[in-house]
Amino acid sequence: MKMRVKLLYHTDLDAVKRVLAQKGIAFDPEAMMDHVFYMFEIEDCSRVTTHQLVRHRAVSYDQESQRFSAATKEGVVTPPSIRSNEVGYKAYDGALKAVYSAYEEMVAAGVPKEDARYILPSAIKTKLVMTLNARNLMHLVWQRTALQAQWEIRELATTLHGLAQEATPELWTKIIER
Amino acid sequence: MKVSLVWSSPFPEKTIAVAMRRCYSTKPIEDIEAELEQKGPEYWKYLLSKALQDKSLDVLEHFVLTLAVEGAADADVGLLVRAFPYLRATQLRQSDWLMTFNARTLVELWKNPRGKTFAEMVVSELSRRGVCPIFNQLAFGVNENAS
Repeated sequence: MKMRVKLLYHTDLDAVKRVLAQKGIAFDPEAMMDHVFYMFEIEDCSRVTTHQLVRHRAVSYDQESQRFSAATKEGVVTPPSIRSNEVGYKAYDGALKAVYSAYEEMVAAGVPKEDARYILPSAIKTKLVMTLNARNLMHLVWQRTALQAQWEIRELATTLHGLAQEATPELWTKIIER
Repeated sequence: MKVSLVWSSPFPEKTIAVAMRRCYSTKPIEDIEAELEQKGPEYWKYLLSKALQDKSLDVLEHFVLTLAVEGAADADVGLLVRAFPYLRATQLRQSDWLMTFNARTLVELWKNPRGKTFAEMVVSELSRRGVCPIFNQLAFGVNENAS
């Protein structure tokens, strides 16, 4: 299954604007970036990408734990460069089969999932919720949509950008300068 | 000082429960939400009490509040912002501020002598508005008429 991102809620800009209007203050998107929050659900991206994602601090994350949920070989992300490379894909698929076979063998033998998971690949799919304000989201989008960013987190950052822009267009009018 | 609620995350206790279940479930978010809806507020209360008891306060961070604060001196707000780095304050004019922080910070404010008075005002406002009766009861011992 492809990565899926859903906006669970966002700050009601109209509520903020009403307060500003009461004080006779014009709405300034830059000044309000700390106060506008978004909560996202992110599903079926790899742990490679969430390792990159959680380097963005002052953001709240709660992620599916591998301590308690069982892993399956079907739940992995295969990078396009591996999928399109016959030799590479054969090596990748063979390694995954070996890893998951070892994982299942350990769990069946009574090794706790939280310890058996030490063998699992970074390609494994994961799910998480993430809450952050517009300032941190804009920084994340700025960094992770750059050409130097990796393809999967670029896809994620692009999707987050699109959802935030759709929900609160007034905050996302500026072109992100590099 | 006067504190008025501008906005808060919708269904705060359910949102916290969603974050908790996310850690232990492989299901899509819609299934988690449906499960929480079906089990109802008593179950959200159970999960929230467990989070507070275990001091797993990260899940509270998904419940966000924005407040209009009137009559707060620069020095007082400066103290709060320095002691609680996740509390964001924007000066609107003179002693009027817009403040945004999450429920974890609210719990930390409540427990800190420098933040307690302010936290009490915020909790009182949340209680008056009936925003999060379960949270107020479990985190601060505030009982409201609402269930």
